[in-house]
Amino acid sequence: MQLPPHINPPAPKRTAASGRAPVYALVGNPNCGKSTLFNALTGLKQKVGNYPGVTVEKKVGTAYSQHGQPLTVIDLPGAYSLAARSPDEAVTRDVLLGRRSDTAQPDRILCIVDATNLERNLYLVHQVLDLGRPVIVVLNMMDLAAEAGMAVFPDKLAQDLGVPVIPCEAVRGKGLIELRLAMSRPDLALSKHAWDIPGAIAPAVAEIQASLVANDAKSPLIARAESLLLLTDQDSVRVAGSTPLSPRTAEILAGWQKRWSAEGMDWAGTLVSSRYDAIGRIAAEVVQPGTVNQGPSPSDRIDAVVTHPFWGWVSLGAVMCLIFVSIFTLAEYPMNWIDGHMASLSDWVKDSMAPGDLRDLITDGAISGVGGVVIFLPQILILFFFIGLLESTGYMARAAFIMDRLMSRVGLNGKSFIPLLSSYACAIPGIMATRTIEDAKDRLVTILVAPLMSCSARLPVYLLMIAALVPNERVPLATKVGIMFLMYFLGTFAAFGFAWLFKRTLLKGEPPMMIMELPPYRLPGLKDVALQMLERAWIFLRRAGTVILGISIVLWFLSAYPKAPEGATPSEQLSGSFAGMAGHALEPAIKPLGFDWQIGIGLISSFAAREVFVSTMGVVFNAEADDGDTAPLREALLKARWPNGRVLFTPLACFGLMIFYVFAMQCVSTIAIVKRETNGWKWPLFQTAYMTGTAWVLALLVYQVGSALGF
Amino acid sequence: MSSSSPIARLPLCQLPAGAVGRVQAITGDEGFCQRLREMGFGEAALITKISGTTTSLCQVNGTRIALNHSAAMNILVERLPVAPHSAETRRA
Repeated sequence: MQLPPHINPPAPKRTAASGRAPVYALVGNPNCGKSTLFNALTGLKQKVGNYPGVTVEKKVGTAYSQHGQPLTVIDLPGAYSLAARSPDEAVTRDVLLGRRSDTAQPDRILCIVDATNLERNLYLVHQVLDLGRPVIVVLNMMDLAAEAGMAVFPDKLAQDLGVPVIPCEAVRGKGLIELRLAMSRPDLALSKHAWDIPGAIAPAVAEIQASLVANDAKSPLIARAESLLLLTDQDSVRVAGSTPLSPRTAEILAGWQKRWSAEGMDWAGTLVSSRYDAIGRIAAEVVQPGTVNQGPSPSDRIDAVVTHPFWGWVSLGAVMCLIFVSIFTLAEYPMNWIDGHMASLSDWVKDSMAPGDLRDLITDGAISGVGGVVIFLPQILILFFFIGLLESTGYMARAAFIMDRLMSRVGLNGKSFIPLLSSYACAIPGIMATRTIEDAKDRLVTILVAPLMSCSARLPVYLLMIAALVPNERVPLATKVGIMFLMYFLGTFAAFGFAWLFKRTLLKGEPPMMIMELPPYRLPGLKDVALQMLERAWIFLRRAGTVILGISIVLWFLSAYPKAPEGATPSEQLSGSFAGMAGHALEPAIKPLGFDWQIGIGLISSFAAREVFVSTMGVVFNAEADDGDTAPLREALLKARWPNGRVLFTPLACFGLMIFYVFAMQCVSTIAIVKRETNGWKWPLFQTAYMTGTAWVLALLVYQVGSALGF
Repeated sequence: MSSSSPIARLPLCQLPAGAVGRVQAITGDEGFCQRLREMGFGEAALITKISGTTTSLCQVNGTRIALNHSAAMNILVERLPVAPHSAETRRA
């Protein structure tokens, strides 16, 4: 059935909103080369932010038309369909439909399509064309299509869809000039695209559309697209920041669904298959498939090894080893460099300022606080380099595939692997990576356990404790590495264990179903990887410059006031300060773990960020720790005694402290991001309680059992 | 590719590696069924199983797709006779 003309009007010429350059939205399936195109169009002119209320990144860039006129491009998260299944797809849907108050509906849409897989990619294009906005279709990966022996005819596609179609190879920058020219056009025709909505569904579409116009203040064209979407949006992922449906429209929708359910009609399936019928006809005209007997492709040959039940594990293990070895060895040089420069900056301030509180605030508060965090930048960059590399080559999906079997044992699926891997660098990007997990309970479980993966901020604590634990320089390196490995293993094991526990108790659910595309292998886009690293570095440095700077200054104040009388040693000053009082107050709770009030100060201050523990110990035990060597601080720690003369940092206490840091939720930034992601305080508080509770119990067990056994 | 034998449905996870199947029915969560159809995995789609019983790896329409066990159990396929020199058969 053809829709009546008032619902599907003839395509009018549409001029761009006068007076300002049009805003483009960039949409496409995952793995179709969308971010490569976005980077090619906008270069370094990108701003990364967040959509309020969700941890989905909002990327906005500026591209230039052929005449140098700036054009805004919003890069929307990759989506297979506008019927969203995960928060990132929901953001794409809501921005395109103009449902978000924080992002105006884009004027024009760039739809990027993988030419090697036209049929499935056209599904999203088909939905986007319904939106009644001018669309430019970018036919990417034309080179790969040609390699596969396929013939693709862009002109034919342009004719069928009634919109400009630009063939392109984004990786090589081919077709960008033509694309810029098309984007610069003052007017773009609307699609003449019409497809037959199945007769049984058409009246419902018309009624919901009318109600959306009357009750939800939608324009008729958007209303049509939205009504089609409402019928296929099964569990309608709602994310914060999207406007809800009016009660009247919701009622009409529910009425139709009820009626169809009673009749036993599968309306959603019917709509999908009628779209595919229309797409199939287009694809048959546009693509000539390649010759069939090509033999296994290079991707097939690689997959034969990396998805193999045995060799797959071997290759995943090798990749993981390579990543960890690189993080620990390569990062050392830039870390020493940063450390040295921070120390000389501090010395320079000391030399050029008169002694006093302001100087101490700058050196002991700001420089050592921020410096202590910035020093992890190289490690984080290396990890993101590898993650970017794995993603851009297509291996990441294989790793998730291999891990799926293991993850299914604890009730999660392979998609949770990527967030957990990122959490080895830092839980924050890890938690942000959970946005691609479709099942809400799975996502929550992944968020809850992600901070148990030993992040790079725990590393300095482990290093200091290992130095105190095995002070002898002649102890083989293997022992130290072994203890370190044990801590990483413990955290990982606990993450899986708690995931298992939560999936069986708090967040019980059906085993989630997973469908995941394994994209063909590609040479890594080093420019894209570099841009992503740059972006991460910037986000990290901005955080260090704001939140961590603030916390460092507050901590400095708490340990510097109230002032001790003249002539007091730094440790006497600390004991009487606000921080010292807090340490003394905490002592009864941590004494059974073998920790005294001085360690207590470290535990309290490192609640802001774990690595602060090391600098706090430096202040508490009055040792110069900021020359990049743990030796002087280690000596100071070994001299530390209880009031009754017992050694404070016994091997048991050191071991207990490490275990405490494996489990305890000592990171304000993570708590903040979990609060934002879960829309409330309930889950971050629960997470803090269960993690720190476990940490306390295990450290207690280590100390008490160890003492009883006579260690 | 018509098969003269009576249609025997089996879940995708039980389809042997290298075999070709046609999707007969998909069951389970409606939202998930919809996504399968949207990704071209709907009824009548031709699937080549590449490997796996716990986690299945398949080739559909030129795309390689992984499905976990609970998803593959919900996809019922009819096994089709494989053409003797099918390009997509590997690792039998």
